[in-house]
Amino acid sequence: MSSTMKSKVIGIDIGYIVTTIALVDIRGTILALDSFMTANYPQINSFVEQICERVVLLAEANGGFDTVRSVGVTAASANYKTGSIENAVNMPWKGEIPLALMLRDRLGLAVAVGNDAHGTALGEFSFGSAHGMENFVVISLGHGGVGSCFFSNGHPHLGCHGFAGEVGHTCVIKDGRQCTCGRKGCLEEYTSERGIIQTAREIMEESDEPSLMRSLPELTSMAIGSCCDQNDKMAWEVFRRTGYILGIGLANYASITNPEAIILTGEQTQVYKWLGPSMEESFEQHVFHNMRGKVKLVVSTLDNRERDVLGASALAWTVKEYSLFL
Amino acid sequence: MILDNMKTRVVGVGISLAKTTCAIVDLGGNIIASTSFTTTDYPIISDYVSVLCENILNMVEANGGYESIRSVGISAPSGNFQSGSIVNSPNMPWKGIVPLAAMLRDQLGIAVALANNAHVMALAEHTFGAAHGMRDFIVVSMGGGVGSSIFSKGQLHLGVDGFAGEFGHSCIVDGGRICGCGNKGCLEAYCSWKGIITTAQEIMAESDKPSLMRDDPKLEADRIVDYCKLGDELAQETYRRTGEIFGIGLANYASIVDPEAIIFTGLAAYAGKWLIEPAYKSFNEHVFHNIKEKVKFIPSHMDSHQRHILGASVLAWEVKEYSLFK
Repeated sequence: MSSTMKSKVIGIDIGYIVTTIALVDIRGTILALDSFMTANYPQINSFVEQICERVVLLAEANGGFDTVRSVGVTAASANYKTGSIENAVNMPWKGEIPLALMLRDRLGLAVAVGNDAHGTALGEFSFGSAHGMENFVVISLGHGGVGSCFFSNGHPHLGCHGFAGEVGHTCVIKDGRQCTCGRKGCLEEYTSERGIIQTAREIMEESDEPSLMRSLPELTSMAIGSCCDQNDKMAWEVFRRTGYILGIGLANYASITNPEAIILTGEQTQVYKWLGPSMEESFEQHVFHNMRGKVKLVVSTLDNRERDVLGASALAWTVKEYSLFL
Repeated sequence: MILDNMKTRVVGVGISLAKTTCAIVDLGGNIIASTSFTTTDYPIISDYVSVLCENILNMVEANGGYESIRSVGISAPSGNFQSGSIVNSPNMPWKGIVPLAAMLRDQLGIAVALANNAHVMALAEHTFGAAHGMRDFIVVSMGGGVGSSIFSKGQLHLGVDGFAGEFGHSCIVDGGRICGCGNKGCLEAYCSWKGIITTAQEIMAESDKPSLMRDDPKLEADRIVDYCKLGDELAQETYRRTGEIFGIGLANYASIVDPEAIIFTGLAAYAGKWLIEPAYKSFNEHVFHNIKEKVKFIPSHMDSHQRHILGASVLAWEVKEYSLFK
C-alpha cells in the first residue's frame, strides 16, 4: 500500500497578549498566518473553540484540512509531558488545563503542547543562532515573565516532570521583591516590564535629582531607554541595576549548564542596547572562572513572532500522527 | 570479527588531595583488588604519573595480568572529560592544564578516561546507588567546595566544555560573604567545610549561650554534626542556617533542571537531617511552584571511598578500547 506523507503542520503560539496560528510546511515556510488577542477569551472553553475555528479556516483556505499532519502549541507554564498548561501565573486561565487533549478532541489531530521557551529553543535550534549547537541555553525575556530551555547533548532538557527551565522564578535577591508567584526576590520581578518600571520608581524616590523620567507621560522600558539616549543618569541607573541582576541569574545558569551560547529572545530584548553592557559585565564577573569569556551571549536575530510559531510547528513533528477520521 | 573473550575488568583510579587509590573492578562492580599511595608525595606531575603507572601495573600483574584489563577511568578534582585533563585546580599540587589521561595512556598503552569527581560520583550513584533507574537527577557533593553533576535523559550532562555543574560559585546572596574565588555571596562561602565553620563562629559571637563548639580548639564541620547529635543548640543552629541558604541554591538549581531527585554526598550526607531538613524546607519555599514537594532529597548511602572507585570504573567503560600492542 503506498501512502503520501503529509507535509504541513499547524504551529500555535499562545502569548500573554497575542495568540498566533500558522500553517507551516516541512521546510519551515509559513504558508499562512492568523492571530487574535488572548485576553478576549478569558474562558478557556471559548478560547479553545476560537483556536479550532481559526485552525480549520486557515487549513481549508490553504490546501484543505486533510493535508495537515499534526498541531504544535507553545505557551508559558505548559508541560510537554502532560500536555497541559499548569498554574500559569500570568494567563487568564488558572489551575491545570489539559490543552492538548481539548484540542485533539475537537480537531481530531495529534497535538503536542510545550513550554513557550521549549518552542523558542527548537526554533533557534532549527532556524536560528543555535543551529549546529548541542549544548546551549535560550532565555525568553518576555513582557511578563522569564522562561528558558536548555539543550543537553543535542536534545531539549525537559526535566523529570516536564518543568525544566523555570529560571524566572529563581531567587536572585534573598527576601527581595514580592513576586506574583507568591515568593520573594524572583528574577522576573526585576527583568519583566513591571520590574523595570518598579526599579525606575524606586530610583526616582531615592533622591531628588532631576531626571527626564519624571516628566514621562507613561513609564515604560522603551521610554526609559529613550531617556538613556539623551544621557539621563537616572535612566541609565535603571538599566544598570536590572542588567546587574540579570547577569547574576544568567551566570548561575551558565555555571550549572556550561552552554556554548546563551541566546536571548523575547519582547524585552528590545531594550538590550541599554541593558546589555551592564548585564554582560555582571555575567563575566559572576560566572564560573573556567567559563569566563567563553560563553557567547547572543541576541536572537529572528523575528520573535515568526520564530515562536516556527518553534511550535517544530513541536508538531515530535508527536506521532493521529487522526480521528481514518 | 568474532569476539569470544570480552574483557570484563577495568581499573578505576580515584584521586583526592590526600590519597590516590587504584582498583581493579569487574563488570558486576566487584572490587577485585586495590592499592593506594599519598598524592602529595609527588608534586612533580611526571613523577606522579610514573608512580601511578607502576602501582597499576603491579596490582594488575598480581591479579589476572595486563591482558585482562580493558581500560582505565580516573576521577580527579577539577577534571575535564573532554580534554582528559585536570584544569586549573586550586587545591592540587599540579597547576594549569595537566593532560593526565594522555600521559597515563602513553605509559600504560591502554585507553584512559578522566573526569571531574562530581561527574564520576553521579555515574556511581546512577549505576550502583540511589539514582539507579532515574533519568533526570542531580548529585550534589559538599566538602571543601560544593560540586554537582546533572543527568539529563539518562546521560551525564557535561556541557560544551565539560564544566557543567559548577554551582558552588553561584551567587546566592548579592553582596554577601567574600568567597575564595574573589566574588561575594557564593554558595560555597556558606555551604562548604570552611563556610560552615565561619557560620558557627558568627553564631557563637552573637550570644553568650554555652556550646560544646566553644571548647573545641580545632572546630571542624563534621565535629559540629556530632555536637548536633548531642543536642547542642548552637551547633544545630549552625546547620539550620546553612541549610536555609543551601535550600535556596538548590531551589534555583531545581527550577532550572527539574530533577527527579537530589542526591547528597560528602559532608551533606554525613550531616544528615541536621542539614537536609532545613534545606528541604527552604527548598520548597523557593522552588518553582509546579515541582514543589515533588523533588526527592536523598542522602547517599554509598561508602564514599567505594563510590569514588566504582564511579571511576563506570567511566572506564565510556571510552573506546585502545591498545598500543594490537
